[in-house]
Amino acid sequence: MLFRLQNIVKTYGPVTALNNLTVTAPTGAIGLLGPNGSGKTTMIRTLLGLIPVNQGSGTILDLDFRTRQLDIRRMVGFAPEDECLFPQVVGVEFVAYAGELVGMKTKDAMQRAHEVLDYVGLGEARYRRAESYSTGMKQRLKLASAIVHDPKLLILDEPTNGMDPAGREEIIELSRDLAHNKGMSLIFSSHLLPDVEAVCDHILVLGAGKLLAEGKIQDLKQLHQQCYEVRLKADPAPFAHKLTNLGCKAAMRDDLIIVQLPDGQSPQLIWTLAAEQKQQIRHLRPQRSTLEEIFLTAVEQQ
Amino acid sequence: MKPVVEFDEVSKWYGNVIGVNKLTIRVPAGVTGLLGPNGAGKSTLLQLATGQLFPSQGTVTVLGQRVWGNTSLNRFIGLCPEQDAFYEWMTGWDFIHTCARLGGLNRIDAKDAAGRALESVGMTKNKDRAVRGYSKGMRQRTKLAQALVHDPEVLFLDEPMTGTDPVARRDLMDIIQRLGGEGKSVMVSSHVLHEVQSLTPNIILMNRGRLVAEGNIREIRELIDKHPHHIVLVCNEYRKLAARLVEWDDVEGVKVLARAQGLMVETRSPDAFYGRLPQLSLEAGTAIDEVYSDDDNLEAVFKYLVNK
Amino acid sequence: MPIFDPGYQHWSGELSGHGWRWLAIARHGYRIGMKNYLLRIIMLVAWIPAIALGFMLCLWGLVERKSELVMPLVAMLDMFDPEVIANPKEYRAEIWTLCYDTFLLMELRFSMILVLIVGPSLISQDLRFNALPLYFSRPLRRIDYFMGKLGVIGAFLGMVLIIPSIVAYVLGLLFSLDLSIIPDTLPLLAASVGYGIVMTLSTGLFILALSSLTRNSRYIALFWLAVWFISSVVGGVLASVDQEHRRHAAYRRSAEISVAQPNANRPPADRQREQAARMADTRQMRQQEWLAEEQQAAKSNWRPMVSYTANLSRIGQAMLNTDAAWRKLSLNKPAEERDRFLLENLGSQYPWYWSAAVILGLMGLSACILNFRIKSLDRLK
Repeated sequence: MLFRLQNIVKTYGPVTALNNLTVTAPTGAIGLLGPNGSGKTTMIRTLLGLIPVNQGSGTILDLDFRTRQLDIRRMVGFAPEDECLFPQVVGVEFVAYAGELVGMKTKDAMQRAHEVLDYVGLGEARYRRAESYSTGMKQRLKLASAIVHDPKLLILDEPTNGMDPAGREEIIELSRDLAHNKGMSLIFSSHLLPDVEAVCDHILVLGAGKLLAEGKIQDLKQLHQQCYEVRLKADPAPFAHKLTNLGCKAAMRDDLIIVQLPDGQSPQLIWTLAAEQKQQIRHLRPQRSTLEEIFLTAVEQQ
Repeated sequence: MKPVVEFDEVSKWYGNVIGVNKLTIRVPAGVTGLLGPNGAGKSTLLQLATGQLFPSQGTVTVLGQRVWGNTSLNRFIGLCPEQDAFYEWMTGWDFIHTCARLGGLNRIDAKDAAGRALESVGMTKNKDRAVRGYSKGMRQRTKLAQALVHDPEVLFLDEPMTGTDPVARRDLMDIIQRLGGEGKSVMVSSHVLHEVQSLTPNIILMNRGRLVAEGNIREIRELIDKHPHHIVLVCNEYRKLAARLVEWDDVEGVKVLARAQGLMVETRSPDAFYGRLPQLSLEAGTAIDEVYSDDDNLEAVFKYLVNK
Repeated sequence: MPIFDPGYQHWSGELSGHGWRWLAIARHGYRIGMKNYLLRIIMLVAWIPAIALGFMLCLWGLVERKSELVMPLVAMLDMFDPEVIANPKEYRAEIWTLCYDTFLLMELRFSMILVLIVGPSLISQDLRFNALPLYFSRPLRRIDYFMGKLGVIGAFLGMVLIIPSIVAYVLGLLFSLDLSIIPDTLPLLAASVGYGIVMTLSTGLFILALSSLTRNSRYIALFWLAVWFISSVVGGVLASVDQEHRRHAAYRRSAEISVAQPNANRPPADRQREQAARMADTRQMRQQEWLAEEQQAAKSNWRPMVSYTANLSRIGQAMLNTDAAWRKLSLNKPAEERDRFLLENLGSQYPWYWSAAVILGLMGLSACILNFRIKSLDRLK
């Protein structure tokens, strides 16, 4: 179990950031979703042991977050959301310093910094000053400085925000690798739902300081029984009409037909019709809710 | 369809550094996506189109008129820039109202227009708070409202959805699609490919200041010869299906996806392939449960063309 | 041959206790500071007074041993009074005190310059590049951060103040070959090290507080210069104005007294002689009165406290006890010259704890500013 929070209440004056939040998270890659103002930042800070709470208890990596705050931060790595840098140092000194601040000895920190910079893919650039890096490189540098002390839990706050597709793919690739192959638990907080889907297996949805939904992505994306998405090469309308005649329910969405087959029928029905009508079926998949739908439903329910 | 924004062999350089290089594009009405890696020249393109930069070569025309120095044309152009800069002490309503007045509306019209613009972006509830206290999503919505308030014909949106949460994102995307549907010409520059894909199939792809591709995503994909199409088929008897597929001439490769109980087929003539598929599914023992293309989307097109 | 995976490896080393975290921050700041070319040159120049101190102490050691090398040189240069050279061991503590006093006074100036170069960017750059979330998401507290940054100032000031003091002391000891120096002068070493610490704490906290106020280090540097120069100038101006005021008052009073007592019955030559004698008398009386007045006024003259550096040197003066040294030396002068000698050489005479209060007050204010500006992450945004 990665962390457990029970009945956490945290207020800042009149504003309640966390409202009786109770959540238990398994190890692995966890996505943290929630609209702005839902208490995500406050929850992350609680997990890091950075803030005292009004009430409630909890453990992170089996350490009580109210008493063992400094120990928690030794085992957790955090890459903050905004652009942040240690000034006036080159890349490798940056990462080594980040390690020293956790308590590594100077030599260990330097050796480890080079190792970690190899992993994130900053080659010769590590000898240049960090201020001169591009956005993608700065994100990777931040990631490197978060994993230099080999934490058991890595928290990434909006890591792909504002990056171009190539940069985004690199970060997603690195996060996936760390979480799935290298045995590091990961909390990935982002507004970009496809990125969360690409990296995480389990999600937590927060809203107004409470937990709105949680679960494995595969479980939450339920299969709609007998529902399929179909896309044709040609205009779908006549095809949809014909499907209705055969007893299916057909609705249009963008350029897809959402078909609900009558009980007992299989997609072969659709193929048969396509063969008859000489139509090309370019896309045929069982309909699953998208993560966006899950998110919006959870938020609306609140 | 008459193009709304036209670039004719436009180049722009800053000293030695090239911004855009011999760019010729014709943007029709509706929503168009503007894509490219960092440094591709997207911001330069938007600045040229709104008359903020003078082209070193070539001409830029919007709604049939030259943009440079043509301040009366700004009445019909709306820009939502990437930078986040407001008069922080103003309330949302003050800000939009001021923008409306600056846009040429008289006092009565400006009041109505401000109210309408804020309503359409969903900021009516918060319009009387100072901008200083807004969250990122609210600031983005306010920025969009200021681009819309004078009801322009052409809209340029530079990364309109950075930092917004999925709820705000969905709202903003609905607004943009509605505007496209109303016949306005909306150019959205973004890095978030799946969002551009949900907004529109028409894109302009740039790299290093040059135009790489323009038009419908699917058509562009068809034209990329170098990479064969990847088509995924899911079937219970996938190995049997594979044996049948390998017999076809235009199938160049078949990869077994054991975990998904399927195959990934590579072919350079997708048309012919799809044409034969329904018949194949009805043959004995090879009922196809799912078919979809792995790389018929914007991400794949981007990757193949930009070739990092 | 196994193939090694160059990807991510786990690390299982030891992490030190967080009591040492400030050292990592101080070391880091020190390395960054030393990259500055100008700083290295200034530090080299700042060692010149240190070398001079060492030289003086060694010279004195030789004087004590009445070595033939130095005696003619010293007699020729007429640096010391004859009684001092006759009995060097008696005046040992005093001469050492005065050497250290001069050294520390010069190093005070160099310290202010060093703090000017190193200090402003300590916290302001962290604010500008938003490094604070990186710091505070690691296992360290705000106090470690502040101590680390203070340690950077401490390292540089220590190198120009404390280390030269100790090295010069050891050299002086070696050159005099007389262990009885130690009980005489050890309080001096302790005092100069203590003074170095006071200076580090005071200037360090002050520049850190200023550095946390804005992201632009140039404004902070300008402000530091302003505090230094303007406060010195204002203090000096106030002191002179005050002195001139007293002098004028004294003149006016003596002018009233010396209104000639007419004595018309005397012959003119006599009258002139009497006049001259009377004027000589009054002049001397005026001198004495003026000296007495100055001594009295100095005891409560707060005006030098306006200058920041004057406060620091007043504390140094008290710690080294230079007043006692000057008084002892003044005993060698003839009685009439003694007061004037003391007036010229003694430093400010107001109680030292006034300056201590000012310095402590400034330190308290700096601590408040730092506490306010560098907030922990326990807030809403």
